[in-house]
Amino acid sequence: MAIVIRTRWNLLMILLLGVGLAWIWVNRAPAGTSNAGSLSPAPAVGHPAPDFTLTTARGERFVMSAQRGKPVVLNFWATWCPPCRAEVAELEEAHRQYAGQIVIVGVDQAEPAADVRAFAAQYGLTYPMPLDSQAEVSRKYAVRSLPTTFFIDRDGVVRRIAHGPVNRATLAQLLRTIFP
Amino acid sequence: MLPILQIGSLAIPTYPLALVLAGWVGLEVGSRVAARLGLDGDHIYNAGLYALLVGLIASRLGHVIAFWPAYRTQPLEIVGLNTRALLLWPGVAAGLIVAAWYVHRRKLPWAAMLDAAAAGALAAIAVASLGEFLGGQNVGAAANAPWAVSFWGVKRHPVQIYEALAAVAVLAATLSALRLPAGPGTATWLAALGYGLSRWLLEPFRAESATVLNGVRAWQAAGLALALIALWGLRGRIGSVGQTEEG
Repeated sequence: MAIVIRTRWNLLMILLLGVGLAWIWVNRAPAGTSNAGSLSPAPAVGHPAPDFTLTTARGERFVMSAQRGKPVVLNFWATWCPPCRAEVAELEEAHRQYAGQIVIVGVDQAEPAADVRAFAAQYGLTYPMPLDSQAEVSRKYAVRSLPTTFFIDRDGVVRRIAHGPVNRATLAQLLRTIFP
Repeated sequence: MLPILQIGSLAIPTYPLALVLAGWVGLEVGSRVAARLGLDGDHIYNAGLYALLVGLIASRLGHVIAFWPAYRTQPLEIVGLNTRALLLWPGVAAGLIVAAWYVHRRKLPWAAMLDAAAAGALAAIAVASLGEFLGGQNVGAAANAPWAVSFWGVKRHPVQIYEALAAVAVLAATLSALRLPAGPGTATWLAALGYGLSRWLLEPFRAESATVLNGVRAWQAAGLALALIALWGLRGRIGSVGQTEEG
């Protein structure tokens, strides 16, 4: 009787192994395939980042879709926000370290250009700071708290969203999701 | 989807809130099951809280080691309050070791403690999965099913709900197994079997999965491996009980 019971259990395990491997095989997700191209732009992981055009504090035009081909760190911030001020040095350092390889952008939320320019000069910030004067881009990206940072890969797909400030270590960790 | 719970001017992210709630529910369910098994339920709370504390420290240490060049120039960040500066696996490993040390040190019955912990873990997984759904985390693959839910204009499998329901079903089976004559430990094997099968079955409904060789979904393969190991464990227990009864 013991042999019969043991055989039944063995058959059950073999059946599970066979069915299990078949289900795994038919549901493979080959590396490099992504359905992001078929998705609508949205501020969500796996979706293409919504496009926008803004003027920077220095008066230059910044077009999000024109950054395609390079990873983008899209940071929403404001000068009055203490956690935002805490992370600008790390963003500036990354901007200098990865110049030409990663685009670091600080979208300022609804502040006068003069205030942003003065702040940038005070902290020695050189990365582009588009001015979201009507907060339209913030709404498009569903930004509910500052700072919020989107990590967008070279194909323009959102890979990570960080709510709250980043430090040097967490920025290094998050950059690994989009670079190299 | 409700990623932020807005209470007046206070904006609370629902996913981290659900994770905290999941931890509490897990400890409470584990504690109650432990009491049902004749143990002091406080042992589950103690082991769980020690594991959490040491796990957090190990998670931070793991992060410090992995990103040492960044910490070298900002040493104060090693003890900073940034909740993102954590690595999961060193924390999980350290937490399990500490919980095991607690059980060993107190000379508690391993099998009964594992049964209680398994039930607690399943309850925690169910709550955390609901949190993923509310927070829009780990969304499902695109779907045309009538019950598909819309995330950012795309109808998707509510895979987080599937996982929560699966965890509740496995929890119910695990609690039923506590009454089986096969004795302590059987419920743990059953919980592992059910959870492994649910990961194996449901992982393809996720929009994105970590993959290994030839695009095989890593968690799906791990789920099958866990289910097979658990089936082997159950074979030794239930098989021998059936043998005794029939003999």
